[in-house]
Amino acid sequence: MNPKLLEILVCPVTKGPLVYDKQKQELISKNARLAYPVRDGIPVMLEDEARRLEEHEYSE
Amino acid sequence: MQNKPQTSEHSDHHTTHFGFETVAEHEKQKKVGEVFHSVAQKYDIMNDVMSAGLHRIWKRFTVDVSGVGQGDKVLDIAGGSGDLSKLFAKKVGTQSAHNPGQVILTDINASMLGVGRDRMIDAGLTIPAAQCNAEFLPFADNSFNCVTVAFGLRNMTHKEAALKEMQRVLKPGGRLLVLEFSKVWQPLEKLYDSYSFKLLPKLGKWIAKDEPSYRYLAESIRMHPDQETLKTMMHEAGFGKVDYYNLTAGVVALHKGVKV
Repeated sequence: MNPKLLEILVCPVTKGPLVYDKQKQELISKNARLAYPVRDGIPVMLEDEARRLEEHEYSE
Repeated sequence: MQNKPQTSEHSDHHTTHFGFETVAEHEKQKKVGEVFHSVAQKYDIMNDVMSAGLHRIWKRFTVDVSGVGQGDKVLDIAGGSGDLSKLFAKKVGTQSAHNPGQVILTDINASMLGVGRDRMIDAGLTIPAAQCNAEFLPFADNSFNCVTVAFGLRNMTHKEAALKEMQRVLKPGGRLLVLEFSKVWQPLEKLYDSYSFKLLPKLGKWIAKDEPSYRYLAESIRMHPDQETLKTMMHEAGFGKVDYYNLTAGVVALHKGVKV
């Protein structure tokens, strides 16, 4: 994923910051408790497509 | 975010238009998604055929009116196959050590965005792509000098919400440009109707092997707010100095507004 894009993306739901998990290819929004997938290098910033975080993922 | 109900009074059963059909609000996005998934591969050639190449002139005019310059940041919403992103990149540059200029290509539809991203790579342009819904933009407030949406607003379920989001991500003084089909000059209406309801779906059938999608196109154009209505909507979303240009006798209108 383009690093410059990562600098300016925020969570579409909370407008809060995102953390890039390179291994899982996900953008994590702890505030929204969502993980947005990065597919084929394109971040998918849609709530419907995001994975709900497990409790241990947003509490740590 | 507050979304206004569009027609129904019952909060669980909001309806909206999908062409001439009335559908539940939650269905529209999915139906539009299917249209663009189906036409993505033939989208560019269909644009050339349908408009006899005029869409290229409309898009070039949009970039000229935007007033962007080297170093500006541009967000292309519903940018699909990337025509506007490409033109904007030539004006603002693509991010490098000496130039902060940047264009970001976005679309809600993965098929369209895939085509667009590949075209940008083929053109040797560094234009990052992100899949997003214009009603919930994944960008911070005051991020862009220019936001542009060409032939996209018509397909959005909550246009008011989308316009507000576009206003939010613009920097003060930043410009929104909406290029969209509009209300054609009255003396040409009959001719335009027979073209779009008779010939257009056939062109869709022959070239894209998809007649219903191009019937939806013709219908959705008729349901879209006319020039003055869209101007009012942009005012209500917080834009100032809103004005529009009629192109090709109002077949298309370009609206411009400034974040004050």
